[in-house]
Amino acid sequence: MSDFNFHVKPIGLFDMLYFKKMVPARQKALACGSAEAVSAVRAANRLAERLHPKVQKLKIADVIEHGESAKTFVLTGEKLAPFRAGQYLSVQLKIGSSVLTRPYSLSSSPAWAYEGKYALTIKRAQDGFASEWILDNWKAGGEVVTSGPEGEFYYEPLRDSAHVIGLAGGCGITPFLSMAYAIRDGIENFRLTLLYGSRKECDILYKTELDKIAKETDKVKIVHVLSDEQKEGFEYGFITAERITQACGGEPCSVFLCGPAAMYTFVDRELEKLKLERKYIRHELYPAPASPKELQGYPGDPSAHYTLSVLQYGETKQIPMAACETVLVALERAGIAAPSRCRGGECGWCRSRLAEGDVFIPDYLDKRRMADVLAGYIHPCCSYPLGDLTLEVWPE
Amino acid sequence: MEQRYDAVVIGAGNGGLSAAATMAKAGKKTLLIEQHNLPGGFASSFVRGRFEFEPSLHELCDVGTAEDPGDVRKLIEQTFGVEVEWLPVPEAYRLITINEGKDNLDVVMPFGVQEFIGKMEEYVPGSRPSMEKFITLCEQIMAALAYIGKSGGKADSKVLMKEHANFLKCGGYSVSRVFRALHMPKKAQRILSAYWCYVGVSTDRLNFALYAAMVYKYLTRGAWIPKMRSHELSAAMDARIRSLGGEIWYNTLAERILTKDGKITGVRTSHGDVATEHVIACCSPNALFGDMMDQKDVPEQQTRMINARSLGPRGFVVYLGLNRTADELGLTDYSYFIYESVDTVKEAARANGFNEHPMQATVCLNRANPGCSPEGTCIMSFTTLYNTDVWGDIPEKEYVAKKREVAEQMIRDFEQHVGVRIKPYIEEIEIATPVTMARYTLNPEGAMYAYSCADWDTMLARLMMLKEDQIVPGVRFAGGYGPRIYGYSSTYLNGELTAKLTLADMKEAGK
Repeated sequence: MSDFNFHVKPIGLFDMLYFKKMVPARQKALACGSAEAVSAVRAANRLAERLHPKVQKLKIADVIEHGESAKTFVLTGEKLAPFRAGQYLSVQLKIGSSVLTRPYSLSSSPAWAYEGKYALTIKRAQDGFASEWILDNWKAGGEVVTSGPEGEFYYEPLRDSAHVIGLAGGCGITPFLSMAYAIRDGIENFRLTLLYGSRKECDILYKTELDKIAKETDKVKIVHVLSDEQKEGFEYGFITAERITQACGGEPCSVFLCGPAAMYTFVDRELEKLKLERKYIRHELYPAPASPKELQGYPGDPSAHYTLSVLQYGETKQIPMAACETVLVALERAGIAAPSRCRGGECGWCRSRLAEGDVFIPDYLDKRRMADVLAGYIHPCCSYPLGDLTLEVWPE
Repeated sequence: MEQRYDAVVIGAGNGGLSAAATMAKAGKKTLLIEQHNLPGGFASSFVRGRFEFEPSLHELCDVGTAEDPGDVRKLIEQTFGVEVEWLPVPEAYRLITINEGKDNLDVVMPFGVQEFIGKMEEYVPGSRPSMEKFITLCEQIMAALAYIGKSGGKADSKVLMKEHANFLKCGGYSVSRVFRALHMPKKAQRILSAYWCYVGVSTDRLNFALYAAMVYKYLTRGAWIPKMRSHELSAAMDARIRSLGGEIWYNTLAERILTKDGKITGVRTSHGDVATEHVIACCSPNALFGDMMDQKDVPEQQTRMINARSLGPRGFVVYLGLNRTADELGLTDYSYFIYESVDTVKEAARANGFNEHPMQATVCLNRANPGCSPEGTCIMSFTTLYNTDVWGDIPEKEYVAKKREVAEQMIRDFEQHVGVRIKPYIEEIEIATPVTMARYTLNPEGAMYAYSCADWDTMLARLMMLKEDQIVPGVRFAGGYGPRIYGYSSTYLNGELTAKLTLADMKEAGK
């Protein structure tokens, strides 16, 4: 084959001439381009920016009170990013010298976003640093800075059953409220049966609204379950396997959960009895607990105090850090605007480089990329210090 | 401007990582800035539920075995000293065509030159002589490219005429033209054209030398993947750049190229100004010259050059985490190409917009990487390409439904033509459109193949015009916009080449 003589045209020399033309042809073509200004921002880039803005500057248009412990804030802005019912906004806060974020599920219909409105419903949490501050300080007319819509807690017909059982506890109703609106408004098409657990009737958020939606569409059903009060028209007790089975009505269902940690612990045990495939159970993300004390396998001394050396853009700063708080909280207390969104290890926005030291990361919150585990990258939102640390962070 | 660097690399995609490692290794004070919060660009990973997915680039060619390494393994392991656990891909591809009636294909092609030729002879009796000629041409092209590479852009035409005559005689033509001249049976041409979607250019507009070199590398060295998705390689490069003394800033956007009297003096980033005279850009020339520079500092010729070029394909990918094993689902192969036909002209035209059966390059990752997902599960990804910004024009209200519709079509086509059930087993699904790619990489239109290498803008012509392509001194392009064009392996080679040229610029400036 070595004497193989290739040619396209009858005489090989013409092929060579053709080859020689490649450079002049390219020179000529390049010179023929227009002199019009260029940009990398095209239609797809503009759409990406619309769908996923890094920050949104919003105005508090209205505040709706739900008893003493919860408020709904109606936020307005120009060209708000659309969202999928169940997603959250990461709210940026400055409280004293701290800078911090909190993720709150959008409680409004996705249809509202197209009219320039979002709603966040926030409940006063026990010892809730941020929720307390928000309820006391967010007033109509004020300004709020948030992320774009984030999160994976939404209905996806290619994956989920057409009938979703929503298990909500307390303020965990908010993403389901948005889903119920989305169904009513024809944005989503699935059946939603809500088992909504509250202590007493007076603790139920949005009862009238939920009952109204259930009347407006037969795709949404609400079952109120009260744990601390026996009353007519309400189920009494907890969200048990039996109640879930009953809600399914003998057909395959996807079960979505959103509520406090105690509810997850209880309901997860109940769900085990149903032997559902894992794909049919979806949890809204677990925020990392404020303290690691109760976490299984925690090897540290929660009363200890350490030093965190923060490396940013070639400069190092030392700040104090408590063993009983996450590394992210230490950064925030020091006023360092470290990136964060979900605060439950999942979204990866806070990904930072641990140059020195050890941290404790509970298994159930460790959603890091495999290679990051080896390379020493951590998600500070769910990492608790076990000693002095050196961390490289890149604020957004 | 307090901080001064010998070179600032904009973008930590493959080309940027490779360039930054090369600069740092040469002892230059190097800063790599990246607007996203992790390295790799398209070579990355993301987690959904209990699955970790490969976003887009799924395999490298020219890695080869540890005993007989290819250029890319040599660069990564020997030059950079970076360790990655490589896994070989089992077969070249399974090619299925669905709209050619009795000519529909369903073939599985192996790696290995003799194995490939042998299999082709089985499917297309009588194809062996032309296939052997094709392989000989490939070998001659590889030898000529090696010579051109060594000559550093100053190849002696006498040597080329004397020793690389066949290369000169085929190197200017398209794939289709050369296949015809080789008197290759039509069916063999069709089977051999399957890799066209990796370049995204129809075979009548695709330079033969480039395609032959790519196919030859695949056949001789196979394809390889990093065990922990591409993020393993990108994260290892990140660590190596630091250990060589380089700095990396994530979440840092290059906003402005600073100049004085038309000369580059630094980069304005979202975290302050840094001084440098040398910028290596792993981003588009559109962004750098159009959005980051004062237009008075951009020669008109440069703008004309950008406008003369067209963007290569934009990618659309469906990622599935399935709650059954590949065996249980009947997924026997790693890589599936499903096309309406192997008429690449028609296929490329279909990719100009939405269509009923998007061509697909689909992978079952567990067939190359059995441990890539938890026991009892497997990972699939379905990729298609678009040749226009059709996704950018979708009204935002229709965006989610449209991406679901396309994903569903692709899954349905796969189920029908491979004869398996996938949909009931979807535990996790994510869908990335060109808009998603635009979001994370900032590439114009989310294009993942940079400038198309169709027609006149071939790799050969780019390499022969290395010198004259640089209009603005102090700026060079690594990554897919570099001279060796796009592709996972090419971008690594581009990064090194660009850094070496920058080192030569520095030496020249020092004189």
